[in-house]
Amino acid sequence: MTEMSRRNTLKLLTATLAAGATFSLLPRNVLAAGQITVLNWQGYGTDEAWSLKAFTERTGITVVHDYYSSESEMLTKLRTNPGAYDLVVLNAARCAQAVAEDLLQPIDFSKVPNAATVDENLRSNANFSKDGQGYAVPWVWGMTSLAIREGKPKPESYSALADATYKGRVAMDDDAIINVGIGALMTGQDMNDPKDLDAVTAALKSIKPNVKLLWSTEDQWNKSFAADEFDLSVFWSGGSVRSKRNSKLPVEFVVPKEGAVGWVDGLGIPASAPNAEGALAFANWMIDPAFYVEWATKVGAPVSSNSAAINSLPADDLSRQVHNPEYLKTMAIMSALPDDRREAFNNLWQEVKAFYAE
Amino acid sequence: MQNDQLTLALTRGSLDARVKRPLPAWLSTTALLLPTYGWLTLAVFLPLLTMLAFSFMSATPMGKTPVEFTLKQYRAFIDQPYLLRIGFNSLMMGFWTTLSCAILGFLAAVALVRATVGRAREGLLILILLPFWTNGLVRVFSWTMVLRENGFLDNLLHMVAPDAGSISFLYTRYAIVLGLVHGYLPYMILTCYIALVTIDDAIIEAAASLGARWWTILFKILIPMAAPGLISGAVLIFIPVIGSFMEPRILGGRVGVTMGTVIEDQFTQAFNWPLGASLSFTLLAVVLAIFATFSGVLRRGTAA
Amino acid sequence: MPQIGRFYLFAILVFLYTPILVMMAMGFNESPLYELPFSFSTRWYEALLSNQPLLTAGVNSIVIAIITAVVATTLGTMAAVALSRRTFRGKNLLQVLLLPPIAIPWLITGTAMLIFFYWSGIGRGMHALLIGHVALAIPYVVLVVGTGFKTVRADLEEAAMSLGSTPVHAFFSVTLPLLYPSILGAALFAFAVSLDQFVISYFLATPGYTTLPVQIYSAIRKGFTPEINAISTLLLLGSMATILIFARFAKPGDTRDKR
Repeated sequence: MTEMSRRNTLKLLTATLAAGATFSLLPRNVLAAGQITVLNWQGYGTDEAWSLKAFTERTGITVVHDYYSSESEMLTKLRTNPGAYDLVVLNAARCAQAVAEDLLQPIDFSKVPNAATVDENLRSNANFSKDGQGYAVPWVWGMTSLAIREGKPKPESYSALADATYKGRVAMDDDAIINVGIGALMTGQDMNDPKDLDAVTAALKSIKPNVKLLWSTEDQWNKSFAADEFDLSVFWSGGSVRSKRNSKLPVEFVVPKEGAVGWVDGLGIPASAPNAEGALAFANWMIDPAFYVEWATKVGAPVSSNSAAINSLPADDLSRQVHNPEYLKTMAIMSALPDDRREAFNNLWQEVKAFYAE
Repeated sequence: MQNDQLTLALTRGSLDARVKRPLPAWLSTTALLLPTYGWLTLAVFLPLLTMLAFSFMSATPMGKTPVEFTLKQYRAFIDQPYLLRIGFNSLMMGFWTTLSCAILGFLAAVALVRATVGRAREGLLILILLPFWTNGLVRVFSWTMVLRENGFLDNLLHMVAPDAGSISFLYTRYAIVLGLVHGYLPYMILTCYIALVTIDDAIIEAAASLGARWWTILFKILIPMAAPGLISGAVLIFIPVIGSFMEPRILGGRVGVTMGTVIEDQFTQAFNWPLGASLSFTLLAVVLAIFATFSGVLRRGTAA
Repeated sequence: MPQIGRFYLFAILVFLYTPILVMMAMGFNESPLYELPFSFSTRWYEALLSNQPLLTAGVNSIVIAIITAVVATTLGTMAAVALSRRTFRGKNLLQVLLLPPIAIPWLITGTAMLIFFYWSGIGRGMHALLIGHVALAIPYVVLVVGTGFKTVRADLEEAAMSLGSTPVHAFFSVTLPLLYPSILGAALFAFAVSLDQFVISYFLATPGYTTLPVQIYSAIRKGFTPEINAISTLLLLGSMATILIFARFAKPGDTRDKR
């Protein structure tokens, strides 16, 4: 009831302000088929205008977005807004936590026909399921590893980050979990559970003379790289494709011998979703080859979980070249962390940052 | 005396003039204060008390993790000694920013009061406040384009001296303080201006005609007159600056680690609200202690 | 002396407007990554015209900022009257209580509000946004207007009253005009606080209803384009024009022009 009246107030206001733009924007068949609210990072696949238009034409469902800027914020929004969201994009490492808190509902895969061709490695990811029941449709996977300016020698190992030739020319990702992962790979440990955290700390501290800045968004990365502020960086595979193709930046993505930090994002349906049917239809669209090819070639995307979607890409596609499926077989994937370990990782990175700042 | 009259004034204003019985003073005082503090209680104090309660918990009480009461979050400065250094750096950042703003802002207020009149003065004051109306993030981001290597500043220099090297100082502490001073200077100019605008020209002219030197006028007349403005300005600048995170992150690069960024990380990355809350309440306590000491010294100074 | 003063003010303005001018210039720069050298283009203004969400967000921001400025200035000035002109027990405590909203980083206040508003049933939406914005702006108003009170002598009111003015009339005709610069300044600050407030808006806005700072804050992940510069420039020029018009009609400077 309050929700209703609030929406009406907003509508009234918007209508007054934008001179009735609200009404002209609404397609005629919308009210019949309903709408869904998606919670995601902004500009991450689900909110492409062309895709939403195509989806609405197919199903009559309109898609509204709300965004988060950190994963903990996503969980907070899910907890404090029951009934507000129909679909949420979440990392496998966070999915387990959401499932444990009963924030998600089981997925009825019979309503997601495209899931039939989803990669088995991803579908069986333990973080997406509980008691043999899947709680998220695996959506895309990607890697965090090194990006190097074209023309510079390709680094073969993460130890290049500490190499004196890159003095003041390195940008690090300001993310505790990623950096501990990199430090663990540098010191030959399990990325999800490094036993010797002191070695990880020492490895990360050894980079200090090279570190020019810590980036926290792809946008910041692009602008700093374009301004020639650094040559070598910890970066995302999909981001490097977007930077190279869309922004024409001379960047090359490299997976050194220690391997990349892998991650998988899934599409979950909140337990309180008012329109789970619509959300399933949208999840199906999100792994549809037709959607994926356009997303990957026009915008730049991580790798679809759906092998049928990947096979629809042109063979020479940049994204396809960067994301060799062979990586998926051997690469460690970011997994759910127990609270105390997550806290230890965060404290470690905080300490390293304090050391950088001295 | 004064109070009674004002009470009377307010009473007459709020009641029919024929009703002679005045309202008690406490009632009108309450009526003046209630809207503000009621509003603050609902929107800020109660939420912050919730946060204060969180700061005594072992984990963020939103998930399924069992939560117990603990003081360990307040031990963070002992358990993680590097936080002390970050805290000290943040205080220094606040100090230099506030000092720079105080000097620049006080002089600007003096110039406004002494060197301009009427419409020109109003126009200047509004021009000084207007940059505030642009988004802080956009402003800070624009500074990076000025300060970075081959940015606007370097380009300007190379127009004059083509062979000169780069004078870029982006990603240093100076860049952070510069960005902060830019963001907070208008507060100081305005509060000092408010304090100085009532100054009577006759006083300064009399002092000058009696042979007072400019520093005598400055230290004996202008600074004491501006003191309330300097203090309010310092409060409005120092306090938010030591908790700031946007300017250090964007302008500081590697050295942009402050209490503000540590606290922000606890809320965004680490999902450790109790630690983030305890750190910021500790910061609040330190700030209050600093101002309590400072105002004590000040009061003794003026009483003497 | 006046020449030095004016030159100094000019230098301060140059400092304050350096990033603003850069912001305006980059709105006309071709490169989406803000690369130099500069190459003139109006593509971002053209893009802005068809960017309905950004324009709507801009309008929302202004509406919220105006309401915030009016409400916060009214409430804050009332409180400043009581805190400056009355003596009562607990006054110091009330003054100290103004500091936490300024001192606690907005991120924490915002998170706390989100949790508390959820628990108390206030919920999210424009009303929640307004509650939050006004609350954050009030301490600034009280402090700025309070500074004004410290310099307006109470005996002027008494003088007016001894000349036959009623206390209410004395307050409105003597004190209030003298407070005018403080109240105006406070309102401008309240407006700025609201216009720049992204954290709390971000937490308290409902899906589909956003303000400009929220759009900017969200866009830093996707990459904010010079469209943001374009709309910021338009907003700033619009505010300048509004103030100029307002200043022409309000003619508030009369009392002080006599000096």
